[in-house]
Order: sequence, then structure tokens, then C-alpha cells
Amino acid sequence: MMMKNRPYWGPSMLAVTLAAAVGLTAGPALSNDKLVELAKDNANWVMTGRDYNAQNFSPMTEIDKESVKRLRPAWSFSTGVLNGHEGTPLVVGDVMYAHSPFPNTTFAIDLNEPGKILWQNKPKQNPTARAVACCDVVNRGLAYWPGDDEVKPLILRTQLDGHIVAMDAETGETRWMLENSDIKVGSTLTIAPYVVKDSVIVGSSGAELGVRGYVTGYDVKTGQQLWRSYSTGPDDEVRLAEDFNDANPHYGQKNLGIDTWEGDAWKIGGGTNWGWYAYDPGVDLFYYGSGNPAPWNETMRPGDNKWTMTIWGRDPDNGMAKFGYQKTPHDEWDYAGVNVMMLSDQQDKEGKDRKLLTHPDRNGIVYTLDRTNGDLISANKIDDTVNWTTGVQLDTGIPVRDPEFGTRMDHKATDICPSAMGYHNQGHDSYDPERKSFFMGINHICMDWEPFMLPYRAGQFFVGATLSMYPGPKGDRENMLGLGQVKSYDAITGEFKWEVMERFSAWGGTLATAGGVMFYGTLDGFIKARDSDTGELLWKFKLPSGVIGHPMTYQHDGRQYVAIYYGVGGWPGVGLVFDLKDPTAGLGSVGAFKRLQEYTQQGGGIMVFSLDGESPFSDPSVGEYDPAVPGEPT
Amino acid sequence: MKKTTLAAAALLAFAATGAAFAYDGTNCRAPGICWEPKPGFPEAVEGTEFDPLHDPAEVSKQGESIKEMDERNARRVAYFIKTGEFIYEVDDIPAE
Repeated sequence: MMMKNRPYWGPSMLAVTLAAAVGLTAGPALSNDKLVELAKDNANWVMTGRDYNAQNFSPMTEIDKESVKRLRPAWSFSTGVLNGHEGTPLVVGDVMYAHSPFPNTTFAIDLNEPGKILWQNKPKQNPTARAVACCDVVNRGLAYWPGDDEVKPLILRTQLDGHIVAMDAETGETRWMLENSDIKVGSTLTIAPYVVKDSVIVGSSGAELGVRGYVTGYDVKTGQQLWRSYSTGPDDEVRLAEDFNDANPHYGQKNLGIDTWEGDAWKIGGGTNWGWYAYDPGVDLFYYGSGNPAPWNETMRPGDNKWTMTIWGRDPDNGMAKFGYQKTPHDEWDYAGVNVMMLSDQQDKEGKDRKLLTHPDRNGIVYTLDRTNGDLISANKIDDTVNWTTGVQLDTGIPVRDPEFGTRMDHKATDICPSAMGYHNQGHDSYDPERKSFFMGINHICMDWEPFMLPYRAGQFFVGATLSMYPGPKGDRENMLGLGQVKSYDAITGEFKWEVMERFSAWGGTLATAGGVMFYGTLDGFIKARDSDTGELLWKFKLPSGVIGHPMTYQHDGRQYVAIYYGVGGWPGVGLVFDLKDPTAGLGSVGAFKRLQEYTQQGGGIMVFSLDGESPFSDPSVGEYDPAVPGEPT
Repeated sequence: MKKTTLAAAALLAFAATGAAFAYDGTNCRAPGICWEPKPGFPEAVEGTEFDPLHDPAEVSKQGESIKEMDERNARRVAYFIKTGEFIYEVDDIPAE
């Protein structure tokens, strides 16, 4: 780590920063506008979902249905660590910013000469953090703040050990580093930070260790905490606006963070948010989902357990919630509701223009809400084999449960679909605004589930259920294959334009392009390109290891590149990564993915593609050592 | 008395129709409060065989930990804003 206890800054630097620190208290926040502008440039990919709409959509067309067959590797980069590589790199101008799983090293790579690491910031972390990570030591990405007159651009990083760090984007030097989560109570960080205006939003992990979830806003320049909103407990801590859910009072309003729990169970009630964010500058709300309640044993926590499993619309300036819709009241299946939020503007069935939010949840339902007030527009099954609910009532918002597929003490429930891994997990999907298609990477996994009683001890796992997982009805249960699907979905009609089966879960998410090609990576180690209209497989490439991140694309020197992390891991990879054999180990994922090791091993890096593999190194003299030039070449 | 009668009636109906009267999430006591105990399970678990018996000392640890982190962060940030120098180790931050 570059930051020292006594900082590296000399007197001149000190003066500059002092001015910055004084200046931060005044002036309007315009940096979100700058981020919006930067995102419009095809040269950049400035945040997790490319822009605030989180559509993972690129208007570039150089790579299209015809040319995609010529896609070849242009260059690659190894991060030097194994374990799961989630998320996607950021690109700003001539620099690619890459992150790694634990120990969460950050790299800046020169796109003019990708062999060159401009800087790296490697933190020293307490290795104990690894022991309280439920599902591999993954991290979902970085955030970028474009800077202002006072402070230069910053890269923001979360660490598994609970720290949030701001680094100078040009030098990699640490500006500030603060504690958000405490591993001693089982609280870690895997989520990517998210920049809105001049603040950085940070989520939380640890519901499998009974961590009560919260989301926090920090001043991006100083790290000063601006607000913190919890998922459970008193309204002033959940932070509900005066008009919270006034548009949909039947969703519930006041005091439910306490009243839907028995006693103090809400204090260890989960609801962490480790997924993704989206933001609408017009409505000035950011959107995310809170996770599952703790423990998994439903019998130990009677009640609807609000506000876990909730789609939130919150004010980024103060964290106050304008609306909250609970998707899975009283969870019985670990359908952690943290999945991707994709924004779109479409006409509803009555022809009314709507600002929408579409969200494929773990519970097997794709929710589409009006993002200005939380109105429920559609809620359709991702696959017709979902059986815990017969469907969601749009007028009440209630999912009608099928008691046969609920879970409870002294009972082993069988053939529940989806499984705890969900029909959709952490993958960041995409939306094609021209085709009005959501391209979703889907899981096809079901399960048996039997809860057991257990005590809560801070810092220890607090799960209380034994699971067996296996392919869904459309897969091959005998051979434990056919665990995934990829589909094109219309949120208004509810129709699927096309759907294909995959050998394993399509875990990492998708990328859509105006070239009519959609991309995604697979756990068995391929990046694939399909025809956005038909789903036809147009191209693929065998990567060094399986993929659990989402593809991205950027333009550099007039050329379109597609980049993707490889490095299998995450929840589906825990058996392979930690060499586990008991099928119920890894919270039940080991059995479901026992065939994975026949197709891939661990890895860690980025592979970048272009037409014909053209890159700066197409001129072989680029980056060569020149003895005539002292010091570093170029 | 009324409650007992209702419960008995529900039990009879349940016996007659199988799972039809089990918790399906649609019977709400108030907006946002739709949970019901499953057949054979208690309305409240305290004092039953399913009582989680949470230790208040354990349950309060997260809140204490967050308070302590926030206090350390506040000292770091205050010194940073005041001097432009960031020091992580709070013990090394010079006193006023």
C-alpha cells in the first residue's frame, strides 16, 4: 500500500490539499454531470454498468453481427491472484483501471501500451477477513470520480476487510482510507463503490453471519460520512422520507422495520446490499436491493422481516427512502434481493411513457417498477419452472406462496425452484434500448432445504440450513449439467424473444451493443457472442478460466475493444476454489457444480479482444526496450 | 374465546382441505404485515422449542462496533480537513 502512516505528501502537496479541504464545504455538486458526459464518450467506461442507467449497452457498431467472427485477442493481463474475478474493469481516456479479488490490488494500465502498469496500489489486509467471506473473496469493481477545481480525479475501492479507499487516479496514491465494516462481527465488503455527485455510496456484506445491512454515503473528497441507512430497525435508522411509499401505501410504511420482527431479532436481521446500483439524475434517486434476512432458518424469525429483500429508491444526498417494495416477505430460501437494477424509458401497456427500473431477482421473478414512485408495472417468472410462488399480484404487490415449496423446521423441503443461488444472481445484465430487450444471464438450479436451530455469536456463521442443489427441470440432473440459461426479455409484454440453455449458470452478466451482438462469459471458460435478435451463437473464444464478471467495451485510437475478466470462483466456484467434496458444503453449491472442475481451473486476469486482434502491439516496435534511452522506455 | 373458535375452525378446515389454509402470504393484518404462522407453528417463538434465545450481549456487538469505527473515522476526517494530511492510525493523530 502506498499510503504510509506518516503521509508521503510534502509541504507543497499539503498546501494544495489544504485548499481542497477548505473548499469542499461550499459550491454546487456538478461532478455527476461530468460523469454523465464522460459516459457518453465511447472511449470511456466510467462505472459498473457503463452509465447511470446501468444498461451495459454500447452504441458502438464496429463489431456487429458480420464482423464479430473476426474477433481475436488483442492483449491480456494477469492480476497475479487466483480466486473469483467479478465485475469489470473501468476505462477512462488512455487508462484501464483493474481490480482483483483479495487482497484487492488496484492496477492502472496504459492503453497506449498495455504492457505497462502505470501504478498499482496493494493494500495490506488482515487475512482473517478471508474466514468471514461467505462466498469466495470476490470484489465487484471500482468507481471513478472525475475531479473538480480542487481535487484531482479519484479511483474508489472497497476491501474485503471493510475499508473504503480513495486513490489519486493519476498516481494511485491513497488519499483517504476509512472503516465501513468490521470483520470481527462478520461484516465484509465485496460490493463496488458507486459515485453520485460528490459522494461515494458503499454497501455491505455478511447476512450469512447475521450482519444487519446498511448503505453509507461518504464525501468523496474527505471521506466524511454523510448518512447511513439500515435495512431493518427503527424508521429513523432505516431513514424513511416523510412521503415514504405514499404512492403505494399497501407496500407498508411506518415502523415496519421493528413491527415485522419478533423482539430484537432485527438487530441481526441481515438485509445487506452487495449488488449493484443505478441512479436517475432527473428523479435524483438511486436504486438498489437489500439482501436476505438472517438466519436462513425461517422459523427463528417470525414476521415479514422488513425491510430486507426490498427494492429501494433513495435520495443520494441524505439517504432518505422515497419508496421501498419488499419482493420476498419472510424469506425462506435465501433469495437475497441485491441483483442488478437496469433503467429504461418505455411505454407501458396503456401507451403511457414511463421511467422504469427492471430487476431480475434471485426469487425467479423479473420486477419492473416505475422508478419515480415504485409503482409495480410487471412481475414475471424468469422461467416457468419457478414454483415457490404461483405469481405476483400486481395490485397488492404480494407474491402468492405455494405452501408446498416453503421451508420450516423439522421438515425437509424438496424440489424448490429456484434454489438459494437463485434463478439469477450477482451478474450485471444489459438492456438494448433499440430492441427493448433485456439480455439476462440466468441460473437453472433447484434445491432441497432443511433448517436447523443454532445460536448467534458475533463473527461466526449464522445460517442454520442444510441444502442440496441440482439442475432445474430443464437441465440434466443425472449428469449435473444444464445449470444455466440466457434469455432476451421484454419487460412490458413479458415475452421472451429467445432463450438458450447453458452447461453452467450464466453467472457474470451480459453486454449489449448497437452492433446487434450481445456478449457474456461462461463458467466453463468462454466468452460468447450471440445475435441480439435471434440468440444465434455467432462467435466464442476459450479463455484461460471461467468467467463470473460482465464484459465491457470501449474505443481506443478509433478501434472498438471488448474486455472481460477471467478467473472462476464466487459461490459456484467455492468447491473448486477451496477443494471441497461434501455436496452440501459451500452452502450447498459444491454438489451442484461438481462437474465444473472438468472444464476449468482457477485463473485471474483480463482478456481484451478486437477485430483481427489489432492492438497497439500490431506495430511490434511499440513497447520495445531501447538501450539508448535511459530509464523506462517510451 | 372468539380467537379460540376461529383457530379451531381454521384447524378443521385445514384438516379437510390439506394445505389450502397454510400461509400463502395473502392474508394481511395491516399494509405490509402479511406473515402468518404455518400450521402447527407458534405466532411467537419466545418460550417455545424454536426460541432462538439470543444473548443480548452478542446481539448488541454490531452496533457497538459501528459506533467505534465511526468515532475513529471522525477523528481521521477531522484532522484531514483541518490539516490536509491524512493519518489512518488514530493513535498517531496529534492532539489539539
